[in-house]
Amino acid sequence: MRFILRRLANYVVMLFVATSLTYFMASFFMDPRSNYLARNPRPPMASIDASLTAANINDKTPVLERYWHWLVGVVTRWDWGLSPTQEPVSGAISSRIGASVQLMTLATVLGIVLGISIGVYTAIRQYKWQDRVLGSLSTFFLVVPTPVLALGVVIAAIWINQALGFRLFYVTGLHSYSGSNFWLKLSDLGQHLVLPTIVLSIITGVTYHLTQRTYLLDTMNADYVRTARAKGLPLMTAIRKHALRPSLIPTTVQVAFTVAGVFTGAVITETVFAINGLGRYFITSIVQNDINASVAIAAFAGACTLVAALLADVAVAWIDPRVRLS
Amino acid sequence: MNAIVTANEPADRLIRPGEFGVDPVLSVRDLHVSFASEAGTVRAVRGVSFDLLPGRTLGIVGESGSGKSVTSLSVMGLLDANARVEGSIRLKGRELLGLTENELSKYRGNDMAMVFQDPLSALTPVFTIGDQLAEALDLHQDLSRKQVRDRSVELLDLVGIPNPAERLKSFPHQFSGGMRQRVMIAIAIANNPDVIIADEPTTALDVTIQAQVLDVLKTAQRETGAAVVMITHDLGVVAGVADDVLVMYAGRPVEKASVDQLYARPAMPYTMGLLGAVPRPDRGENRRLVPIQGTPPSLVDLPVGCPFAPRCPVATDECRVAEPDLVPVAGNEDQLAACIRADELAAQGVTYDQVFTVDESAPSVLADVPRAERAPVLEVTDLRKHFPLTKGGILRRTVGAVKAVDGVTFDVREGETLALVGESGSGKTTTLLEILKLEAPQGGTIAVLGKNVAELPRAERRALRRELQIVFQDPMSSLDPRLPVYDVLAEPLHVHGWSKQRINDRIAELMKLVGLNPDHVDRFPSQFSGGQRQRIAIARALAVEPKLVVLDEPVSALDVSIQAGVINLLEDIQATLSVAFLFVAHDLSVIRHASARVAVMYLGQVVELGDTEAVFTAPRHPYTRALLSAVPVPDPQVERTRERIVLTGDLPSPAAQITGCRFASRCPTRALLPPEKQQRCDTELPVLTGQDHTVACHFPVSPENPGLPTKEN
Repeated sequence: MRFILRRLANYVVMLFVATSLTYFMASFFMDPRSNYLARNPRPPMASIDASLTAANINDKTPVLERYWHWLVGVVTRWDWGLSPTQEPVSGAISSRIGASVQLMTLATVLGIVLGISIGVYTAIRQYKWQDRVLGSLSTFFLVVPTPVLALGVVIAAIWINQALGFRLFYVTGLHSYSGSNFWLKLSDLGQHLVLPTIVLSIITGVTYHLTQRTYLLDTMNADYVRTARAKGLPLMTAIRKHALRPSLIPTTVQVAFTVAGVFTGAVITETVFAINGLGRYFITSIVQNDINASVAIAAFAGACTLVAALLADVAVAWIDPRVRLS
Repeated sequence: MNAIVTANEPADRLIRPGEFGVDPVLSVRDLHVSFASEAGTVRAVRGVSFDLLPGRTLGIVGESGSGKSVTSLSVMGLLDANARVEGSIRLKGRELLGLTENELSKYRGNDMAMVFQDPLSALTPVFTIGDQLAEALDLHQDLSRKQVRDRSVELLDLVGIPNPAERLKSFPHQFSGGMRQRVMIAIAIANNPDVIIADEPTTALDVTIQAQVLDVLKTAQRETGAAVVMITHDLGVVAGVADDVLVMYAGRPVEKASVDQLYARPAMPYTMGLLGAVPRPDRGENRRLVPIQGTPPSLVDLPVGCPFAPRCPVATDECRVAEPDLVPVAGNEDQLAACIRADELAAQGVTYDQVFTVDESAPSVLADVPRAERAPVLEVTDLRKHFPLTKGGILRRTVGAVKAVDGVTFDVREGETLALVGESGSGKTTTLLEILKLEAPQGGTIAVLGKNVAELPRAERRALRRELQIVFQDPMSSLDPRLPVYDVLAEPLHVHGWSKQRINDRIAELMKLVGLNPDHVDRFPSQFSGGQRQRIAIARALAVEPKLVVLDEPVSALDVSIQAGVINLLEDIQATLSVAFLFVAHDLSVIRHASARVAVMYLGQVVELGDTEAVFTAPRHPYTRALLSAVPVPDPQVERTRERIVLTGDLPSPAAQITGCRFASRCPTRALLPPEKQQRCDTELPVLTGQDHTVACHFPVSPENPGLPTKEN
């Protein structure tokens, strides 16, 4: 427990340093003034300055002063500042996180569970036809770029929709029903989610399949599995009881980081399916010189990653007695 | 008795079952195992037959690739799925071959159990010892939780694990290698099996731990009445534990006899060769080892005729016609040999030195120069190397030190071999690394050729590197697989700026020196056998004509028959070039044979240093005595009669804070002392005292009256 607390304190310091660095880098490289200068008709200089100062991103204010102002806001009021359009960043982010979580949760769980199961299934059947077929399939999906895969799924869905004569799958957004019937709302969400979930599950599942297969093959041929068989466990039972758990140790670390990804969203999939998630927001905020939003997203992603690292440590300590501290 | 039996005749006739009116628990008939590989079918086992009687121990001896482990794994049914097993394996009369995995698993762990070679990897790391023991019990017996627990405690107690009830909750990584092997034995005997197969059970262990584990195995056998199959390459271990011995070569049994018969009167030339090749830890006479020329054949592409014929000095043309069967030797029906000349050889009573010829050792250039007049090549005084133990995440603080080397003193003189011997964790390797660094050590001094390395200017240090070369343990990994031998040997010469012509001449010279064909310099290391590769490594070390070569376990990765040739080579090189060797090894037999002086290390300290003969015949430190008594001797008569000092416990952690003598916690001499004298052992660190034969002990063992301490030091 003390170990975890110490780790946590360590992480908070790291996160603070990283976020501050991001703040300075964003402030140096992003130029929100150009957003206004590019407008047609161009607004008067005084009003541009006023807007920038209001959002605390005016490059005429010294960067340390802006930083201090921003830091006080974050620490005392949990106020992450305004975007160049004077919209509060905190609110924008939380709604996007919501969208990303809706999109990613099911896909991540499915990807991990299916990926690990297929990995175990194929490891036990190494070099048999099941292993070869699934292995080739996974390698294929691994090399297909995500946008291509996503567009392929979209085209297939549109084709099905046309063949059926009504819209079974929605290819953009997360919602289109605006009534209050819970069941209709749920089925509407489902119709939107099916396609991106397929894409994301495949992307996640494929890596888990290939890595889990390797890990299990490593432990399956370990001496201790032979010992277990020498004790009288049949081969399959010996693998299930003695090889599976050690093989899950490296996977656990991977899972922890994947779970963190649920909150930070998926940039490409969100873009293809026009879902307003955090991943897409991050890209937009960078393109639009939105200093405060970029920093806030970076801070959030950093926090997620560190929580994942902590989770990974705890989970590994739970499965692997060798890393438990005495 | 007709010596030639056709292959079709059943082998049962040759091995009489129920010899003592008891039915064999395990009987293997005409076992054949082959694997499909990319190179072709590997015929790993070709016609093994034996009977195992209850309570008896059968030793299966052979070099790597002889098929001994494959035989044991096929009995257990633990071979990979791509293995083809034919013949018959009957356990208590029931045929095991052809059973399904599930049927077979009813026998495994219950009627037959196995102990594997590497205890470090044989236990599942994520489960407690208690869980793993309980699993073995629950699989074959219907016991309550309490019964399981009681039985587990009883088993751990039987195999000598202290505080068994508490240790049940420990994980494998919390045990030392020796302790883990005890746990493995406990698991193996959990269900009172009829057969225990031990596959090289002590090969990965230190010699004092080996003695403990072999004792435990004997206890386990006594308790369960089981028959034991002991598979090993170590002729000493077999001599100590086996009743009958089966010698295997190229997948075939080539000789089978009772242990006394086999060691006293071997009939097959290969067995004779093995016995001649193994150095004896108990004999001082400077007998030349007898290497067996050549290498074992490939199991993919076996030659016609006797597979040993190409290496056999007494082979005739007839040997190359057909493979001989294992048949009784005339005059002794209990001894079987697969050699057409066995009867003849047995009748003449020939031994290895008559069969195998060995070149006379080269005369030593320095033979007439007494040690005191030889120049010192390396002087190490009070060498220290501590590794700090740290704690804490952000602010690291030192909480202790691992005293890897803590007061090592020795010197090596021109043309002599000093052996550093000690168990793992005694600091041998760290000592070597410190010397090879040629930099100022953490504590103490190192002087090479009389120059203190701490005070050397850069250029001189570089020049001095040439005088100090190393040969590593594993020739498989110490040679770059992508460099032809020429480049391997030329590299050190280039570094030291030799001209191309000189390099060419030197390489031809080196190849001849180490007994390789100079025309083979364009081959890659993978085209050579293990022994030849080690010769290349030796040639590389000698290339720049060093004064001192450090040999780090140079023969421990080699088979006995190959090892002898390399040891002889080292002797000859030393005699002709008067190069000094610093020889690190854990095998005391090799050390007695190969070195002139020996330094015994324990926990980072040299505890005894002297001439090899003096140390081996009259050890003065209680640890040296225990170490020597633990070495198995390849002679069943000696093994049965000699008394062994089995040390209790493991080597303490080098991080432990010990104020007195490092060895006090395990010392058999200290235990006999009155309390006030024990006090001295516990509080005062002994230092090396004495003239030529020095010992770091307050109460050294008296040479006349071993076991009792002499006057206080």
